[in-house]
Amino acid sequence: MEEDKTKEITRAAILNILEDSDELIKQNSKEKKRYRSIMDNLNDGIIILDKKYQIEFINSEALIFLDLDKREVEGKSLLNLIQKKDLEDFFIKDGEVKNFEKKELIINDYCLLVSSLFLSEGFLIIISNASNDKLIERRESDFISIAAHQLRTPLSAIKWTTRMILDGDAGDINEEQRSLLEKTYLSNEKMIYLINDLLDVSKIEENKFIYNKIDYSLEEILNKSLKRFKDILEIKNINLKIHKPDQFLPKVKIDKSKMEIVFQKLIENAIKYSLKGGEISITLEKDDKNVIFKIKDYGAGIPKDQQERIFSKFFRGSNAVKLETDGTGLGLYTTKSIINSHKGKIWFESVEGEGTTFYFTIPIN
Amino acid sequence: MIKKILLIEDDKFLRELMTKKLFSMDYDVSSSVDGESGLEMIKEKQPDLVLLDLILPGMNGFEVLERAKKDPEINNIPIIILSNLGQKEDIDKGLELGAKDFLIKAHFTPQEIANKLKNILG
Repeated sequence: MEEDKTKEITRAAILNILEDSDELIKQNSKEKKRYRSIMDNLNDGIIILDKKYQIEFINSEALIFLDLDKREVEGKSLLNLIQKKDLEDFFIKDGEVKNFEKKELIINDYCLLVSSLFLSEGFLIIISNASNDKLIERRESDFISIAAHQLRTPLSAIKWTTRMILDGDAGDINEEQRSLLEKTYLSNEKMIYLINDLLDVSKIEENKFIYNKIDYSLEEILNKSLKRFKDILEIKNINLKIHKPDQFLPKVKIDKSKMEIVFQKLIENAIKYSLKGGEISITLEKDDKNVIFKIKDYGAGIPKDQQERIFSKFFRGSNAVKLETDGTGLGLYTTKSIINSHKGKIWFESVEGEGTTFYFTIPIN
Repeated sequence: MIKKILLIEDDKFLRELMTKKLFSMDYDVSSSVDGESGLEMIKEKQPDLVLLDLILPGMNGFEVLERAKKDPEINNIPIIILSNLGQKEDIDKGLELGAKDFLIKAHFTPQEIANKLKNILG
């Protein structure tokens, strides 16, 4: 009897356990389903790997991003599935999945931000889609580079032809023809400059503009830049005054060719918007922390209601448009970008009809 | 002695203009319109200087430059890139591969280009 009783208790207990575990299994699979459906509805791709890099779980976004088929992947090693070279370079180093890496990759037209994280029992890989904005930005920038190259070819042909005719390589020309061709040549040059400006802007937007900064004298770059304006200053009969301090100006860390652009744009603007016979004064000085450049003209000035937008891309003041029909609206945008990437500051003071003063600073190391 | 210049340029009009200019300066100018024939002509003609475009049908200018610099028969011939590419990356790559100079077509007149050649050829 005792035995029977014991048996019954045992049976009940086992049944209980079975029921519980059944419940647990049901719960477990319900949990699992829930967690899968959450994972599958995420906008990010998730991959969980075990210690041997075999795929334990992969959600639908990850399958889409990596162009994989669900039936083929589970239980397989990630190393065998990834064929694309750049992906492989990212995930795997010396036959092992890398830890804590974060990188932007372009795969199947997606711009993906991929990160891998070491877990105690394997790896978690998260793939976020950084596409749209970034990709569009990149395509725009590529487009500009290619368009610039393609545009330059016919412009070179025009430049070469007009110059050769002007130089008499195709026989004598009369004065009227010469004067027309000179104008053609200059218009074409403006187009070439515009392309260079556009290229600079596309580089700025890719953050690839500033290359090599070296210790160099701003004064030297200023002097070099001023040489280019000798003729135009004479033609417009502009009195240029240059003030430099008696004390020695320290060298600063700069990208030489980019600082040339800064001087060129600021001096060009001052001349362009000055009247004939006007005056421009340039000052180069320093305080404790910065070398300071200042250029003052007594020209057109910037209308007050437009001053806020003066550094915006493609913006040109309404009076500037009337006064000088050419101009790209890219000069001050480029200038500000260059100064910013040298950790300097740029600003101006201006009264319409009275003139403008531009300032910039470059920190002394 | 008359110096020999080889012009590798696929644009017909630019090629004609440059050839005319160089002829007028008493150079012996030959030209080719793509990379493969250009490389062949460097070997065949052994010019004193090569003006090389980069975007060419088939083998591009970078490849021509790279191969020419690896070929002991012609690797001492100065090559000047004359192209409308001109991004920093392109210029660095060209000079690294051994080009003597990198000229952007739209930034120079034929006379200015010819003067550069004269400086190199002496």
